[in-house]
Amino acid sequence: MALLELRNLSKSFGGLQVLEDLSLQVEEGEILGLIGPNGAGKTTVLNVISGIYKPDGGEILMDGSPIAGLAPHQVTARGIARTFQTLRLFINMSVIDNVVSAGYGQMRSNLAQIIFRTPAFRREEAEMRARAEDLLGFFGERITGYRLDQPAYSLSYANRRRLEIARALMTSPRLLLLDEPAAGMNPAETQEVTQLIGRLREEGGYTILFIEHDMGVVADISDRVMALDHGRVISEGHYDDVVADPAVIEAYLGTGGVARK
Amino acid sequence: MEAFLSQLPQQLVNGLTLGGVYALIALGYSMVFGVLKLLNFAHGDVYMVGAFIGFGVMSAFLDGAALTAPAILVVVIMFLAAMAGCGILGVGVERIAYRRLRRAPRIAALISALGMSFFIQNAVQLTLSADFRAYQPQLLIPPGTGFDILGVHISAIRALAIVLAVVLMFLLHYLVQKSKLGKAMRAVATDPEAATMMGVDVDRVIVATFFVGSALAGAAGVITGLVFIRVWHFMGFLAGLKGFVAAVIGGIGNIPGAMLGGFILGLVETFAIGFVSATFRDVIAFAVLILVLLLKPQGLLGARIPDRA
Amino acid sequence: MTDRDQPPTTKPELLGRDEWVSEHDQRVRRDTWTAIGAAIERVPFVLRLAIIAAAALAFPIFTDNNYVLRIVGTVALFASLAMGLNLVAGFAGLLDLGYVAFYGIGGYAYAYFSSDFLGIHLPTWVTLLIVVALGALFGWLLGLPSMRLTGDYLAIATLGFLLVFIQLATSLTRVSLPWTDGPVDLTGGPNGIVNLDDFSLFGFTASTVEHYLVILVGLLLVVMTVAHNLDRSRVGRGWRALRENELAANVMGMPTKRLKLLAFVFGSAIAGMSGMTFAAWQGAVFPNNFAVPLLITMYSIIVLGGLGSIPGVLVGSFILVVVPELLRDVGLASTLFYGAVILTLFVAIKPRWQAAAVVAGTALVGIAARLFLPGEPPGVGEGLGALVGQILVVPGNDPQLVGNIAFMAVLGLLFLSVYLPTRTLKLVALVPLLWLLALAWNTRLSQDPSVTRLLLIGLTLVALMNFRPAGLFGRTRVEVM
Repeated sequence: MALLELRNLSKSFGGLQVLEDLSLQVEEGEILGLIGPNGAGKTTVLNVISGIYKPDGGEILMDGSPIAGLAPHQVTARGIARTFQTLRLFINMSVIDNVVSAGYGQMRSNLAQIIFRTPAFRREEAEMRARAEDLLGFFGERITGYRLDQPAYSLSYANRRRLEIARALMTSPRLLLLDEPAAGMNPAETQEVTQLIGRLREEGGYTILFIEHDMGVVADISDRVMALDHGRVISEGHYDDVVADPAVIEAYLGTGGVARK
Repeated sequence: MEAFLSQLPQQLVNGLTLGGVYALIALGYSMVFGVLKLLNFAHGDVYMVGAFIGFGVMSAFLDGAALTAPAILVVVIMFLAAMAGCGILGVGVERIAYRRLRRAPRIAALISALGMSFFIQNAVQLTLSADFRAYQPQLLIPPGTGFDILGVHISAIRALAIVLAVVLMFLLHYLVQKSKLGKAMRAVATDPEAATMMGVDVDRVIVATFFVGSALAGAAGVITGLVFIRVWHFMGFLAGLKGFVAAVIGGIGNIPGAMLGGFILGLVETFAIGFVSATFRDVIAFAVLILVLLLKPQGLLGARIPDRA
Repeated sequence: MTDRDQPPTTKPELLGRDEWVSEHDQRVRRDTWTAIGAAIERVPFVLRLAIIAAAALAFPIFTDNNYVLRIVGTVALFASLAMGLNLVAGFAGLLDLGYVAFYGIGGYAYAYFSSDFLGIHLPTWVTLLIVVALGALFGWLLGLPSMRLTGDYLAIATLGFLLVFIQLATSLTRVSLPWTDGPVDLTGGPNGIVNLDDFSLFGFTASTVEHYLVILVGLLLVVMTVAHNLDRSRVGRGWRALRENELAANVMGMPTKRLKLLAFVFGSAIAGMSGMTFAAWQGAVFPNNFAVPLLITMYSIIVLGGLGSIPGVLVGSFILVVVPELLRDVGLASTLFYGAVILTLFVAIKPRWQAAAVVAGTALVGIAARLFLPGEPPGVGEGLGALVGQILVVPGNDPQLVGNIAFMAVLGLLFLSVYLPTRTLKLVALVPLLWLLALAWNTRLSQDPSVTRLLLIGLTLVALMNFRPAGLFGRTRVEVM
């Protein structure tokens, strides 16, 4: 059974059909790349999965249970986390707080324990903080040490992206949705992103569904690729096959284009 | 039932008069919200200042109990002075309280607005009065003047109020739909950045919007004085709230909606006073607001705005 | 790589690279207030509480002056009340303009259960539980529909709630209930409910200002602790997250609707408790105890102190209670006023000689006015007010009218000067403006301290939002475009 399954998903915005009869599956432990021209509906797929939008029709099954229509925080509790195409950090909060705050759903202290600062509460806070530091350490020394207490707005762009991923990891997901993780990155940073996605799967055990426009990343790291256009899946399979598929070429380049290998 | 039916026409007239006032106030709210996405808390106080300006003009032409100029002239000057004065006041409010906060978080602009509103209220209280001031419309239009339609006596003052409100609304509609400025206003309301790139001077448009909206509020203030006689420094707060409710009923940012909402609220409130109880007139407005916000938050004429993540 | 504990000093070769950007925070200039705020944060919380308790309780020990003790009590009361508002508006960023209604609900609840009005006299601790529950309940009720509303709508809807509350409290004096004979007075109307019982806890009844001061300080300490502990928990982080980016907070597992409700409920419970304590202290409740000026004062406190800052609330409360009291004495008020004006001039106008020129110009205008205009100089008290009065003159024999006209002229000139093309012209326009302002102050503004104080509070809010939105102890916030 697939970890995540979308069946016949449809979504329209005021007359504009953004997703149409879309079906896809993500197997546990795989890295699936989602590609397609702008406006194909890729981010909308992620938004529907994470509960930001309710689909008009179709089903979403996470580990066999339906999750369509759940509120975002409930979807997160089911083990799905994501990053955003345009960063959505808690920009005035410190780096460490950005990550620790995402531990909300897993913390068990109730109001009384919070107000009286019971030992159980203190223990949980310390554990969560340690875990957050660990996750931030995943990226080397860049967003650790004295940076932990600095406000997030003092981070460089690349570090902000890393922080957002760390924050998502804090929710202990099984499935990680990454929306254009390499956007705005130079070649060296892009290479790092590619390795990062691999490490997330190898060291963290996460299943990853990611959207990307940079074909280099998609080619290097995805197990499988799916191409979207006008809200439908138009091709799927290994990268080389998808990229050579005439339907995909036409979607990106119009008729007569050549795909990059 | 008998009593209800026989009173109905009169209450209708009263409701339309009150509705006209609310509609004029609501228009200012809607217009400003449209271009700035901000609730101008001080708007109600601009209305209040308009009422006081009208009072001041009238007092200037008063010598004892007699007018020193033809009534019609006095009335015209009252309206012109109030509209011009409030227009300028509105522009001043924008410049001082809102201009720097265009990019600031909502809460900052709202608090600034609150402070401005409070400042105006107390400035008026300090300089002009803490007590009620009373218009003397009987000196302008002899009481009893009016005309009878279908057995209902409509006083000249109320007729003037309703007609003036409707005329102003038509003028506004014409301005927004047909003039270049109106087009610019609609552009800024839709997308200020795109408007700038199309060569629209956003600052000027916003100033013009405030001027027009505040002028309408000023007219509403004078109408209130003429019809309801008493004016005081706190009247703006309550009227402003109701004007906002009216704008929400119709759909905030929507000009025909503001007009519709104003009249609806005026009628509902008047009927409530006439047929239920006068004590709860303000509670009615609030109850209507909650109802609308719960059932149809985009208002009667407002469009559902889908939000894209 | 860099040493974990020490931020590296900037090396020129790192310019443009990651480290330089990340050291931004060290390079931000800290001004005095931020530094003070940071210092306060380093003091352990329990110690802070002890210091506040000691400072407040020192007063009844060292003085008998009831007036002073009442002031201290009011500072504590307002600080507690504002602390609750800080939870709602400061931590969670919800613009609740109806907050003061919960203060009123607490007050009236106490009046119902501890007076002859309904003939019920419950023990204080029972009433306390009832008030907290009622406050929480009403907060929840108001919070529920508010969840759907964005900032502006929320503000108006909650404001409507407050105005309705005041209206009901003032007018529900003749209500016909189905089970009574005639109309019943539910609220005591504008004359309120009087002769409330005194606070009575653990067998001890409060009756003097000193007793109530202790109770108020106790309340403040409790409220501060609750706020502080909530802040440093997942609830506090959740509030801050939802304030920063509500969508992201939701997606990161934080149930924002529930968090908003929680803020409302805590805020209203605190307000209710404060209201109850206030009612017992005053011995009565009246509708206009819970009106708009109090709301504005509360917002001024949290904005001045810095939204979301707990020490800020204390400082804000102190300033907004004590300064208006100082302003009651015309001489002192005038000295403060003119002092503030001159200070502002010299801080805002650089180079400093230009500020001096403006002041000199104003003096010259005044002297000329004295020489050529008929009338008497209006002196007010001693100190700066009398001094400045020497260069002012009141033509005619109606100083109040002159003052009003001068005040309006100041506003008009201020408005016009914004549109003057050059800085020099603006500075020149400042001269008559200052003179008229002084005239307005001496003849009118200083004569009506209660109204002038409100006026100045409104002005302060506008000025704060425009020039220092973070208040005294708030952190400057970056807004994402």
